[in-house]
Formats: sequence, C-alpha cells, structure tokens
Amino acid sequence: MLRNPEWHLLIVWYFFLGGIAGGAYFTAAIADGFGGSRDRGVVRTGYILSLLMIGVCGMLLILDLGTPSRFLNMLRTFKFWDPMSIGAWMLGVFGLFAFLSSVLSLSADERRAALRRKISLVGILFGFFLASYTGVLLSATALPLWSDARLMGALFLASGASTGMAAISLLLYLSGDSAGEGFKKVKRADRFAIIFEIVVLVLFLALLGSTAAPLTSGNLAPLFWGGLVVVGLVIPLAIDLLGGLRVPAVIPAVLVLVGGFILRYVVVMTHA
Amino acid sequence: MARTLAMFTDTSLCIGCRACQVACKQWNELPMEEPQWTGSYQNHVHFTDKTYRLVRFIEKPQPNGELQWLLMSDVCKHCAHAGCLDACPTGAIHRTEYGTVNINQDVCNGCRYCVSSCPFGVVAFNHDTGRANKCTFCNDRIHNGLGPACAKTCPTESIQFGFRDELAAKAEKRVAKLQEMGYKSAQLYGADTNGPLGGLNAFFLLLDKPSTYNLPEKPLLPQRNVLVDSVLAVGAALLVGVGAVVSFRERGGKGDGDA
Repeated sequence: MLRNPEWHLLIVWYFFLGGIAGGAYFTAAIADGFGGSRDRGVVRTGYILSLLMIGVCGMLLILDLGTPSRFLNMLRTFKFWDPMSIGAWMLGVFGLFAFLSSVLSLSADERRAALRRKISLVGILFGFFLASYTGVLLSATALPLWSDARLMGALFLASGASTGMAAISLLLYLSGDSAGEGFKKVKRADRFAIIFEIVVLVLFLALLGSTAAPLTSGNLAPLFWGGLVVVGLVIPLAIDLLGGLRVPAVIPAVLVLVGGFILRYVVVMTHA
Repeated sequence: MARTLAMFTDTSLCIGCRACQVACKQWNELPMEEPQWTGSYQNHVHFTDKTYRLVRFIEKPQPNGELQWLLMSDVCKHCAHAGCLDACPTGAIHRTEYGTVNINQDVCNGCRYCVSSCPFGVVAFNHDTGRANKCTFCNDRIHNGLGPACAKTCPTESIQFGFRDELAAKAEKRVAKLQEMGYKSAQLYGADTNGPLGGLNAFFLLLDKPSTYNLPEKPLLPQRNVLVDSVLAVGAALLVGVGAVVSFRERGGKGDGDA
C-alpha cells in the first residue's frame, strides 16, 4: 500500500517552467559560446527568460508548501544524495548565474561578453541540472511507473531542451526578431531536440513495458497520445521537416510548449 | 548511539482487540476521524495522519470454503535504511540514538517527498498542520524508560518491545516453534538486518506470505535510482548539448569560436 504525495498543478507548472529555465539557459549559453554576433538576440532572450522562469519556479515551490516561510527549512541542511535537497539549493545557485549572465548580456561591450561566456560555461551545468533533476526526483520514490522509469531524468531534460528552445523562438517571433540567422539556428537546434525527445520517449516506454499502462492506456492516455505525442512532438516536427507549408513560425513553438506542459502533467497526475 | 530498540509484532498472537490502536491514539493525542467502511472490522483502510497503529483484518479463503482471519497490528517499520529519511530535504526526519525514525514537527515543511518515498506508504500528510505524520515509536516514552504505548497495552504480548538483538533471537525461536506446530507458512518479516532495507526495527512474524498482508515481498530503497538515472540524464545532456553546438556553431571561421 503506497501513498501519493498529493503534488498537483503547482508542481506540474514548476516542472514545466523549470525545464524551460534550464533549457533556455543552456541554449543561450551554447549560442553564446559557439555562435556569433548574429545570435545575440537568442543569447539575451535565453538568459533573461531563464532568470524570470527561475523566479516564478521559486514562488511556485514556496506556494506549494502552504506556509511560505517554511521554505527556509530547506536551507538547514544539504543532502547530496537527495534530489529535492540538491534541487532547492541549485535553484538558488542557478538563479545567481542566470542573473549575472542576464545583466552581462545587456551590454555589447566585448570585455563583458568574455566574462559572461566564462560565467555561462559554469552556469550551463546548473541549466542541465534544473531541466533534468525533477525527473530523477520522481524516479527516487517508492511509486510504480515513477520509480520504474530509468529515463525520467533524460526525458525531462530532452523536453526542457525542446521547450526552452521553443520558448526562445516564440519570444523572438513576438518581438519581431524572427527573420535573422539566430532564429533559424534556434529552430534547427529545436528540431534536433524534438527528434531526440521522441527517441528518448520511445526508449522510456520500451523500458517501462506494461508498467507504462497508466500513461498509455488509462485516463491520461488521450492526453498522453493526443497532447504530448501528436500535438507536442509529431505535428511540430512534421511542420518543420515538410518546410513548404504556410504555417506561421509561431505555431510549432506553441505546440512544443503545450506538449512539454502535458508531459509534466500526465507524469505527475499518475500519482496525484 | 544507544543499543537499538525494536518492536516485534507476532501476528500469531494477535486477537484483533485493537487496544494498541486505541492506546496509540490516546497517548499521542490523535484526534478522531470519520470511520471508513472497509468491508471488514478493519478501520481505516490504511494508516492516516491520525492513525499510526492499525490492526489489519485479512480474510483468507480456506480450501473448505470458509474464511480464515489473519490479524496483524501494523505500524511504521522504522527501517534501518529509511526512504522517508533519505528523501527529507529539511532534516526533519531523523534517526534517534535508539535507531528509530522520527519526524521533528517543528522542522518539517510539508514538501511531501517522504510520503511518496515510503515503500510501505506509512508517512501521511496532515492537512491541518501542513506537515507529515507517522508513528514516533513513542519517542517521548522511550526516552523516559517506557515502551511504546501500543506494546505496553497489548494484552497478548503480540506486540513486544525491547532491544533489537534480543527480540530478533526471540522471534527466531518463536517462528521455529510455529513451524514445528504445523504453521508451515510462518515467517519473519524484517527481522534480518542483512535483509531488505537493512532490516526493520519494527519487524513482524507473519502466518502467510507478506503479499497476503499487503506488504511488499522485497521492499526497496527509493534512492537506489538516483545514481543510475543521473548518469543517464548526464548522457542525455551531452547529446542535447552536441545538437545545440552543431546548430549554433559558426561555419567559415567568422564567428567568435569557443569561449
């Protein structure tokens, strides 16, 4: 007889936005380190988006505790083997990196850019961490499906990447910056992330076998297949690969974001 | 560290009087709850944030068609390797010098990670206080030379309290005797410190296999997954990272190059 943790929408939003924060940051940091001056829009948008999302994430976690001041109790101790303990600390440390990267991305000064790239090179590790640890956190429980899913962390990371990139391209589009080279590169990176996410998802389901039933054939199945697989992965990828379709660039980005939210929703609701 | 204390619940002696359940409620000042219809005399279905001892009434069909009652007074197992304790991000869940597992209510912040990390579903979230609750092994009593209220009150000595090593030896003798008497399925659950979770400091003598009592045959520590899953996530991060680097890399040497 096992017991569900009663995690609901606040946690779903946290997992989703934490993935975007991590994904947007490491995308920006890679564009910063390996791209060129034409990627400046991507870099700046990614860092600032990440910083804002980290702020929202912190608030979601604090709200979920019911009594906000109790969040401080997390800071009494650090347990390196405990995903939630590391996560609470890393959210703060990552916030610091996102803040520094964001501030340094506001100016075009080359010396600041060099410092920013050095900082981001370290920050990128926290970005990867925030996008994936929530999956490992779920797998380190006693509950079926969560604890049977060896690739939960990898899947959340892939989804964090695809949604982080989709969020950047959506913001670029909305700010009228969708004609440049940077926008094309984010789309290219996102295409790779979506394909990778599909591969991880297939492996995830194959490894779970019949244990995946709550996702694939239960109440959540229509959302899982329709919302995540079709709307969130297959359609945006098809639009991208087919090219010639007259679909505004904003549509696939929005679909990927919807899919990313649904992934966290169906997984968390399996044991809500 | 003081000598490890334990509770040994010998279900072959349980008469289902539920005195333990009542004594637990009284001593720990746990408020009343709405009863639940469970189809038998058992109430509630499972532990709650206000029920730390629970007598399970299990009806087992016999070959002659009649039902046999298996009674079991269930409680937090105070695992030697406790999932709830490892999951707790505040340090509220701690091991006492007697080897028991306790939740410091002042420190618990209500994150509920422990609730999902108990292999037995013992830890329960208290919506009134916003904190997690479970059996305390009567922490106040054992620190004053008294046994837990449930063990103290048990009229048949089905629940026994004492030093872990002595109780385990006693349990071994008892299970051997029951086997001799013809109870072939009699077995100990959690008595072996080399067994799952490093042994349970509240261990049991069962008259049937653990699953009959809704207990996991081989409970596992949730944190066993952290390392493997983290390594797999790092692998995924490398692949995603390579994909992004390839997408953003400036061709033709015009770009800024590596940082």
